[in-house]
Amino acid sequence: MSPLQLVGAIFAVMLVLMALRTPIAIAMFLAGAAGYGVQAGWGPLTSFLNNQAFARFASYDLSVIPLFLLMGNLATQGGLSKALFAAASRVMSRFQGGLAMAAVLASAAFGSICGSSVATTATITSVALPELRRHGYSGRLATGTLAAGGTLGILIPPSLPLLIYAILAEQNIAKLFAAALVPGLIAMLGYMVAIAVYVRLVPGHAPALAHEPAHPVSTAQSLWGVAPIAAVFLLVFGGIYGGFFTPTEGAAVGVATTFAAALLGRELTRAKLAQCFYATAQGSAMVFLIFIGADVMNVALALTQVPNQLAGLVHAWALPPLMVVSMILLFYVVLGTVMDELSMLLLTIPIFFPIVNGMDFGMPQESAAIWFGIMVLMTVGFGMLAPPVGLNVYVVNSLARDIPVAESYRGVVPFLISDVLRMVLLLLFPGLSLWMIGFVR
Amino acid sequence: MPVLEKLARLCAVLAGLLLTLITLLTCASVVARNVGDASLVGDFELTGVACGLAVALFMPWCQLSGGNIIVDFFTARAGAHTVAGLDRVGQWLVAAVMALLAWRTSLGGLNAYANHSASMLLNFPDWVVYGGMVPPLALTACIAVGQALGWVHRVPEAAP
Repeated sequence: MSPLQLVGAIFAVMLVLMALRTPIAIAMFLAGAAGYGVQAGWGPLTSFLNNQAFARFASYDLSVIPLFLLMGNLATQGGLSKALFAAASRVMSRFQGGLAMAAVLASAAFGSICGSSVATTATITSVALPELRRHGYSGRLATGTLAAGGTLGILIPPSLPLLIYAILAEQNIAKLFAAALVPGLIAMLGYMVAIAVYVRLVPGHAPALAHEPAHPVSTAQSLWGVAPIAAVFLLVFGGIYGGFFTPTEGAAVGVATTFAAALLGRELTRAKLAQCFYATAQGSAMVFLIFIGADVMNVALALTQVPNQLAGLVHAWALPPLMVVSMILLFYVVLGTVMDELSMLLLTIPIFFPIVNGMDFGMPQESAAIWFGIMVLMTVGFGMLAPPVGLNVYVVNSLARDIPVAESYRGVVPFLISDVLRMVLLLLFPGLSLWMIGFVR
Repeated sequence: MPVLEKLARLCAVLAGLLLTLITLLTCASVVARNVGDASLVGDFELTGVACGLAVALFMPWCQLSGGNIIVDFFTARAGAHTVAGLDRVGQWLVAAVMALLAWRTSLGGLNAYANHSASMLLNFPDWVVYGGMVPPLALTACIAVGQALGWVHRVPEAAP
């Protein structure tokens, strides 16, 4: 079998297993193990596995993942989202479609202390959906907004996909966090503009301005409710950006301060704390198992030499770098229709990153690597919204059973358009995201 | 089989407490370094060790609560019977991989013991970490077998 045929066979086995409902991590593991064994023999495979769990699980660099997940779960269980949405709807109440914009704002703010976009989506949906429906927003706009708002967490630090990209591409986590901040804010504003345009162009999905909810609490009162979250964010990311602590230490500080904020809110019971641990267990184990599967898969692929040859081939063709990046991003859009974001990153970054890393984008190599990561993450966010399998749309719909999924997919269209415009903007003007890197110490 | 569920819950809470411990240790280290000028030696080694144990301890609960990601796009129109059958095959495969990892990790641990391999600064023996990982990995394999045989049922997630 030629190396190329072998790679084809490895991928075929993986995809068939995946399509037949084998967990993705296990499908990658089995296909990779078979590919490894065929090439190097079963002895080397088994001795490779001797240290695999230890090397991946007991790693200081990766310990940032469970800690940020725990922080996000504390925020979720700690009832911090209610105050957030109340304050956001207060601020946005002067605009038509304001309550939907408030949901976007609250998602962005919650995403700034929660690294999982699914958790952000579920949390904000449970608070905001009843309010949106009660005030006369259509199911289409309400679910579309909430699904889109949840994807903001992918860009806004701390983001799990961002951490994973940084680890795989061996880039500085603090710099990636910094570079993602402005695109995240642009995304948030873009979604708000999408809502404003949509409610004007397509009447009947949002109440008239006069019927936007009135607020019994003052602005000062509602902002006071947001103070704990703002404090956590500033402390954690100020500390990481300012070089006072490493990302892992920042995550630990985040866990401690979010725990304190949740205690202040008097929402955290012993049962909810246990629920935090269970949710963290699920999230962490899922990610680390994918790490193990992707490791085996990537070693098997590397043994075939095909990824190296592919990189060499692309360089030899001397295609315009922007075109190569665009093609890779299109590939992610296609792959994102069936695969989840984390598996996709873990499987493909080891293949694509070497291709992109050697190219000349007219900027330092590190900047190019960071910018490419931001572009990939935005594309991944697109995949979480777009049909046929937008994960976030399903999360919202599982909490809004009376609204058909097709209606929600119609609702995400304005946000997908906003996504595409933003991607083009950042593809053409990398400086928009990169200037923040200069502030990281 | 409530025993397996109890054990999985115990593991998850134990791991949560380990993460809490790391949190406290790290915060103490950050404060000591930035406020005072002392530093805790080897705090990052302990973080790595505790994280490794925690992740392994998280595995059983993840399997029991159906946390591993599955692509259900291609089988969305299949009958319930077919889906249940495919899921049983998937659970056997999970069991096989977990058992393999448990077996190889225990051999890795024996090697580490024989070679006296340990962490750089604190000289914390690696075999302890390997050894701590094996029982939860084996438990995960048992849970998957139980699920494949229909003895263990998926624990429904509480709403977030």
